Amino acid sequence: MNKPKPVALAGFYLIGIAIFAFFIVPLFWTLSMSLKTIPELFSSKLTLWPKVPQFSNYAKIFQNTMILVNIKNSTVITISAVLITLVLSIPSAFALSRSRFHGKQFYMFLILIFQMLSPVVVVIPLYRFFISINIYNKLWSLIIVYAATFSPFAVWYLKGYFDTVPAAIDEAARIDGAGRLRALVFIHMPIAIPGIVSVAILLIVQCWSQFVLPFILLDDKRLFPIPVGLLNLQSTSDAITIHYLAAASIIGILPIMICFIIFQKFIVSGLASGATKE
Amino acid sequence: MNRTVSRPPHEGILLFWLLPLAIVCMSVFVIPVVQIVRWSFTDSSLMKEGHELSFRAYIALLSSNDFMSILRTTLIFVISSVLLQVALGFVIALFLDYGDRRGLRGTIIVRTAVLVSWAIPGVVAGVIWKMMFSEMDSGLITSLAHFIVPASRPRFLSSPAAALASSVVANVWRGTAYSMILLYAGLMTFPNDLNEASQIDGANAFQRLFQIKIPVLAPLFLICILLVTVQTFNTFDMLMALTGGGPGRGTEVLALYIYKTIFTEFNLGRGSAAAVLLLLINVAMTWVYFCFLKRGTA
Repeated sequence: MNKPKPVALAGFYLIGIAIFAFFIVPLFWTLSMSLKTIPELFSSKLTLWPKVPQFSNYAKIFQNTMILVNIKNSTVITISAVLITLVLSIPSAFALSRSRFHGKQFYMFLILIFQMLSPVVVVIPLYRFFISINIYNKLWSLIIVYAATFSPFAVWYLKGYFDTVPAAIDEAARIDGAGRLRALVFIHMPIAIPGIVSVAILLIVQCWSQFVLPFILLDDKRLFPIPVGLLNLQSTSDAITIHYLAAASIIGILPIMICFIIFQKFIVSGLASGATKE
Repeated sequence: MNRTVSRPPHEGILLFWLLPLAIVCMSVFVIPVVQIVRWSFTDSSLMKEGHELSFRAYIALLSSNDFMSILRTTLIFVISSVLLQVALGFVIALFLDYGDRRGLRGTIIVRTAVLVSWAIPGVVAGVIWKMMFSEMDSGLITSLAHFIVPASRPRFLSSPAAALASSVVANVWRGTAYSMILLYAGLMTFPNDLNEASQIDGANAFQRLFQIKIPVLAPLFLICILLVTVQTFNTFDMLMALTGGGPGRGTEVLALYIYKTIFTEFNLGRGSAAAVLLLLINVAMTWVYFCFLKRGTA
């Protein structure tokens, strides 16, 4: 490719700056709000960045809200849900990749429907059901629902990944006398590590974001994950405490942001291949 | 012993591996869906089980003006979100591809900025945009509006029509990353010889874009539109934090309507009928997507 002309180059950077600004300014603004004083929040003119950043706003949030408990809950839910999802979906994905059976197409279609289904549709019957058998408002039952909700995506994704592992490798494992389970654990899974990591990262992001399920299936403030805790905080706070809400939002997204920036490579490849593979 | 050639293992054992997931899906998806379909045909409430079989909930739902305006709101929200997300996603993908192919700096930081907004939970996105659209004098977008038109009194969230537009902006901010990544991946694997051949033929950048790139990427566009449409129909969390469905019912989309009908109006029958409608939309979109994936591999 030949070098672009100066005009094209200027246009390129102008577009780049515009895109960057649209996506970053809301986060910058939230950070700025979280460090403001009350007079700055209510001044009649714009304060882009507080004169003296009030880090004490963050101390107040840690002292007066349950944000740390929310983060702990989100972490517990996310880690256990992702692990259970992987345990449920890796064998299923492998089985779907390696076997033919009557009704397989239909089963794959059904799983895809579960993936696309709005959680709002299933959570209401689950709410009644959970109350009736006394497992409502418990983290463990919520975690199972998370795992079920995210498994369909993981199965479709990982099946696509296992499909790319050549059958010759199965053959070699068989000659070595490895059983199916040993072949999966010691031969196929190591090959599929990049795919499994991508899926795990995407699942972590989705678990951290999930709102409807805990919102309806939990009642106890001490069990709320970040999104439900924040909505609660928003509904109890007013204009005068908006800077605390901003601070809580920043704290609530910090763990997922760090995870995201470390694993960005996997997110890019994961999102792209998950949607188009069959 | 006589272990000559190991027989191919029974596929029955592999089918056994499908069982744990099948059981979990059965109890978390199939049984609840059957339940909600049943409720939609009875006069149940969250408190008591109804027994009478009737279409009353559907008739009441489809003949109510409220519900028609909910559908209208949902369609406006979905169609404008999808169009803007896919269009903006494609522009960003073109930008990234252009920069990558010429070794220009700055593409990674732009890509990261777009992706970060996707990783943010919907509730937080709603909280963030509620601050962005603050109608106080110290609000960022309000100040900007004052700067452009000094005496204006913009109402971003307090008038129904504006609130719907604001919700679309927030949703585009949050969802564009997905379209961007899909289309960017398509551009990266774009056959290079096709591009070069057209360049030699003297096609300019716009001709190449509209006559070669977009037609070749058409299947990917369709997949992208389908997936984003399903996600947008299911939007709940972001709107819950941004507008709560208001002002009035100005931004109450289908998923919010289902929740409110059942949990604040305690009308389980009507809420379930609306849920069945959302379910049918989900299934129909999945069907198209599934057929499309099948055709792609055949």
